Amino acid sequence: MTDAIAAEWHKLRSLRSNAYLLAVSLLAVLACAGVAYLIGRGFDRQTFEERLGFTGVGAGLGTGLPIAYVVFGTLGALTITAEHATGLIRTSLAAVPRRQVFLFAKVPGLAAVTLVAGQVLAFAMHGAAQAVLGSRADQLLLDGGTLGTSLAEPGVLASVAVSGLSMTAAALVGLGAGAAIRSTSGTLVALVLVFLVLPVAAQALPSPLRAQVGSYLLENLPAQVAGVGGLLPPVAAAALLAGHVAVALAAGATVTALKGRRLRPLLAGAAAVLLTALTAVLPTVLPAAGLSPGMPAEPAVAPASGDAGGAASALAWRPCADKDAPGDLRCASVEVPLDWHKPAGRTITVPVAMLPASGAGRRIGVLFSVPGGPGGSGIDDLKQHHARFAKLRDRFDVVSLAPRNTAVPGGPLPYACLSTGPWITLPGDRAEWAELARANREHAERCRAADPELFDHMDSASVARDIEAVRVALGEPRLSFLANSYGGHPAEAYARLFPARVRAMVLDGAADHQEPVAATEPALYARLERQLVRFAAWCRADTACALHGRDVAGVWRRLVTAADRKPVPVRGDPSGAAYSGFDLKVAAGPSFVSPGREPEVPRWVQLAAAIEKAEGGDASGFADYVRQATGSAKVPSAAGQNMTHCLDGKGYGSYAAFREALREAERVSPHFAGQRSWWPLACAGWPAPVTNPPAPLPAWGLPPLLGVGSWTDHDEVARAVRRVPGSSSLRYEGHGHTLYLSGPGGCVTAHVNRYLISLRLPPPGATCPGAG
Amino acid sequence: MIDVRGLTMRYGRTVAVDGLTFSVRPGLVTGFLGPNGAGKSTTMRAVLGLEVPAGGEALVDGRSYASLRRPMRTMGALLDAGAVHGGRTARDHLRCLARSNGIGAGRVDEVLGQVGLTDVAGRRIGGFSLGMKQRLGIAAALLGDPAVLMFDEPLNGLDPEGIRWIRDLLRALAAEGRTVLLSSHLMNELALTADHVVVIGRGKLIADTAIGELAGRFRRDVLVRAADPERLAGVLRAHGATVTPEEAPPGPPARDPSVRGLSVRGLDAEVIGELALGAGVALRELTPRGASLEEAFMELTEDSVEYGAHTGTEQGR
Repeated sequence: MTDAIAAEWHKLRSLRSNAYLLAVSLLAVLACAGVAYLIGRGFDRQTFEERLGFTGVGAGLGTGLPIAYVVFGTLGALTITAEHATGLIRTSLAAVPRRQVFLFAKVPGLAAVTLVAGQVLAFAMHGAAQAVLGSRADQLLLDGGTLGTSLAEPGVLASVAVSGLSMTAAALVGLGAGAAIRSTSGTLVALVLVFLVLPVAAQALPSPLRAQVGSYLLENLPAQVAGVGGLLPPVAAAALLAGHVAVALAAGATVTALKGRRLRPLLAGAAAVLLTALTAVLPTVLPAAGLSPGMPAEPAVAPASGDAGGAASALAWRPCADKDAPGDLRCASVEVPLDWHKPAGRTITVPVAMLPASGAGRRIGVLFSVPGGPGGSGIDDLKQHHARFAKLRDRFDVVSLAPRNTAVPGGPLPYACLSTGPWITLPGDRAEWAELARANREHAERCRAADPELFDHMDSASVARDIEAVRVALGEPRLSFLANSYGGHPAEAYARLFPARVRAMVLDGAADHQEPVAATEPALYARLERQLVRFAAWCRADTACALHGRDVAGVWRRLVTAADRKPVPVRGDPSGAAYSGFDLKVAAGPSFVSPGREPEVPRWVQLAAAIEKAEGGDASGFADYVRQATGSAKVPSAAGQNMTHCLDGKGYGSYAAFREALREAERVSPHFAGQRSWWPLACAGWPAPVTNPPAPLPAWGLPPLLGVGSWTDHDEVARAVRRVPGSSSLRYEGHGHTLYLSGPGGCVTAHVNRYLISLRLPPPGATCPGAG
Repeated sequence: MIDVRGLTMRYGRTVAVDGLTFSVRPGLVTGFLGPNGAGKSTTMRAVLGLEVPAGGEALVDGRSYASLRRPMRTMGALLDAGAVHGGRTARDHLRCLARSNGIGAGRVDEVLGQVGLTDVAGRRIGGFSLGMKQRLGIAAALLGDPAVLMFDEPLNGLDPEGIRWIRDLLRALAAEGRTVLLSSHLMNELALTADHVVVIGRGKLIADTAIGELAGRFRRDVLVRAADPERLAGVLRAHGATVTPEEAPPGPPARDPSVRGLSVRGLDAEVIGELALGAGVALRELTPRGASLEEAFMELTEDSVEYGAHTGTEQGR
């Protein structure tokens, strides 16, 4: 055999035409560079947002690979078909009469040449594409990828190297095909069909079939082996790559044996090779392709099948009854203990919903969207914002729940009671503090009466444990999180309780629950002061502002100071309500923070008019929009939120602590001091004890987190993630809250998808430009 | 030593070689003779293991060729001088073959010298004449310095000088004690080269004999010139001979009747002489005539010619 191998090696290198053929493979480099050039030119003509919608070229080998395969396949084919064409085979077989030895002796030389040439070519192709793309290669895209990927990116080096290796596979496929077909032209037609026509035909298929069929094609296997794309797990892709070669060589060996008429042992051998290849490939391939979760035809399919480590789900998924739900939303429920400290005790039912993965990419697992509020339903979020998850669903099932503290009509606790509460006042002494506590308790007890045990277990840690129950029912080893707004509390509780179960966590405008409430206030006051400056700047610039041309900060300060001495009455209000300075700050706060759609900023227009009206002695400008939102002349402190807030330790704990916080507020916030106390004060006198107090996230054991925030909530999320090493935060240069679900999309979506899919974080100080 | 034993080769329903048995002995040049399509090449391919027999076997030094580890060291063969890749140089072509049988590069240059291709060793085979390709094929056969050599129609396309060179080479190889088998469809080619001849037709053995014997076996008649041919013919016929007058030589009829000879079959020259003496007829010539090798071959294979002219007429009807 060694003699035969040496002879074949000499045959390969003694033909000048083989060197020319290898030189032709440089066409592949040109193709890569050419496509990169065209993409780059198209890219330059687009706007920033349009650029985000581009599809990345990955390592940049895409278009060149099929060309390289045809060239290398031809090289492999010619080593045998040229022998047939010239008749040399008769001479060769006289020298090496054993046909199988003769055929397989060609493999080592061919493999050696193509291994080296393939690597050179693959890296040249990658280098050419990257060089032509230039700095555009780093452009982040909506699908979480970049336009190009450099060798420094994870998996790219492996992907390019395996691409080079796949050229050896193509050459051996050519050899096998050549041995089977024996005619040069016939083999070339076959190679062109398999390597060029088939991929083009597959591109014409509808999604997700396109991705499923595409993942089996030779040109898409290298990236899948490197784990940077496609549907197949790396092991299956590698097996399939080897399978291509095994099948082609087995076919060649079979035909060669047939020609020599020593059939039986070789047919058996070929059958064995085929069977081995199939058994290696099928078990890993079939589930990934056919049984991926949530295919439209399979309504009750479990979400976690087919992925390594994902056990079968114990949840009975069914289409959601809801008519306004997107068609592919699936619903189920889990039974959880009401009191997680009494696991055998009373249980409650928690509804869950899932937007199943599209099947167009290799499934990573479950993204769990944690709703805010407290009191919001994550299922409603999925219904309303499902389009936001479109790209992510190529890799994830998106799951959420309607947490136990969801405040909805018809629940076990009276909604009429949960949706409202007492007006909070700023206590001037212990007597007023006691009076506030009495009012708070009185309303809370009214709501609590319907189900005291439930009312006392509405903390975010219980919600976190409910999420863990969902994870167990899903059979997922780990979860990725998108925590929206107050959803940061259950998410952080989950991270403290089950750090090993967290694959990734995005805190999107998520409130920090790691420090006592008083410690978080200075930053929140700073935010309000900054917003006043922005509001004033707008008033200076825009005549739509009722205070245009005036000293806005001065007007506001004088108004609240005067109202604290003598409340501003709400004209025409039958209950005779009047706004103190504190009431004005509470009512105006959300409007300062959220101006509404820009550039019209309707809430700032409304706020400026209300301020002007209040200056004139009438607070109805504020009362009108407050009444519209709450049905009350002043903002009521809703029990539905407080039942979670207070158990999460968002109160002051004592009158002294409140006084201390207020003194600090007066020091840092001349225009809004006291405003932040509205929330903690609602917990004075609360009937249920604190069960989930703020606590820092563990400094180790968690993956790096991503914080996402706008002008008004970025500082808070940056603070929340900073304890976890390696974490980063992204700042959106504009107004907004829960940007992934309801922001302008684009840049933020791209960064979040990139993190969730490939766990790559934006660099420190990364920003996204504001819309408009 | 090549041993073909009961070899049968089939292509579909066609039987190309039918129970063929013969041996090729060392020290001799053995001609392998038969008309086109007689099964010579098929037999040689079977010896090389290129075709698998339907029955029987073909052995080289007692073993099947395909089972030899380095077969070129046991037997060298030239089946088709055109079975080369025109893109390789002569030297590279031989080196590929040499390596496949563990033969050193030095031997390549040796055989190139032996066949007279040293000067063109670095040129690509694509530009070679048929004669040069034949020499290259012979060089390939000689590479392994084998004790057995087999050549299929090696004289095809060669000029007289080339033919003489091959004859001398083959005789020299046989003289070294090697087994040499060469095939041809022309007896004349073999007459001066072969010591022994194996004749086949339609896949069957017709003759396996020393070349001298072959001509002798087909001794045909006796040429008699006598003073009185008429009378002698009568005497000979009376003793059971078949007597045919020879064709008259061209030109005007000769006056001397003895010019016209008689072809006599059925009686030995010795008997004819005694009968002539008894009859008192003076003999001018008494020559026993053998068949020429070519004639002997034609006669032998008359029935076995696969593509004779008559088939053409039949088809033409």
